[in-house]
Amino acid sequence: MSALQLYQLVALFLLCVGLYGFIWRRSLVSMLICLELMLNGAGLSIVAASQHTAANAVLGQLGALLVMGLAAAEATLVLAIVLVVTQRFKTSESISVSELKG
Amino acid sequence: MESLAHIAFGVYTALIVGGACIAVLARSLVRSLVGLVATLFGVAGLYLLMAAPFIALMQILIYVGGVSVLIFFAIMLTHAAPTGDESKSRPVRKRLNAIFAMTVPAVVLAIQIIVHGPKGFEMPSEVSLPELGAGLLGPYLLAFELISVVLFVAMAGAIMLAWRQWGKR
Repeated sequence: MSALQLYQLVALFLLCVGLYGFIWRRSLVSMLICLELMLNGAGLSIVAASQHTAANAVLGQLGALLVMGLAAAEATLVLAIVLVVTQRFKTSESISVSELKG
Repeated sequence: MESLAHIAFGVYTALIVGGACIAVLARSLVRSLVGLVATLFGVAGLYLLMAAPFIALMQILIYVGGVSVLIFFAIMLTHAAPTGDESKSRPVRKRLNAIFAMTVPAVVLAIQIIVHGPKGFEMPSEVSLPELGAGLLGPYLLAFELISVVLFVAMAGAIMLAWRQWGKR
């Protein structure tokens, strides 16, 4: 197997573990952790695909950098949302915010 | 040199696999965060192997230095106890759903990568730091500026959300 395929398989592993945890976990914070795992897999895949093929390597590395920036922005917003949910519902479980108020 | 790269790849992959398993399966949220940090270091090592040292350093700086500290704040502020939400039992259907969500993309994409995936070059292409800087200030200037706007809006929105809640008390 070539190097590119090995890197892509590692990225796929990160995506699948993140998906598993995202559904399996209960609290919002651990769902955020699984989301970060998936985003890391995406960045790894982008950089591997640009470094090991004839594609534009500068574009790949900068794309991974933008993914990191978006992950940081998303983590701040999720932190604020988790805070609001915890103060209003007294728990950070995802199931507690799944009911509509009639 | 070739075998050294293989050993390094094995070490980093073991770090990633172990860290990801701890991050997903650990009951305690703090342990799960430590697993995530191990995974982030492993991915940074893989970036180094791909001859992208700038991205590896940014990975450590942004993820390990910034995002994981944010997640730690989230754990502290929600008072998540190790015996709390995560240790309650879940219905069987949820486990089946999770396994289904994991295996379907795993099988489909793994077949695609192994059978039809492009072989690529064995040696990664070299990109110097000045080329990256010229890319950021040249053809990708708009994306570079927009990401700063997105970060600013996210920070301002986060402060607004938390501010209103604290103001009510």
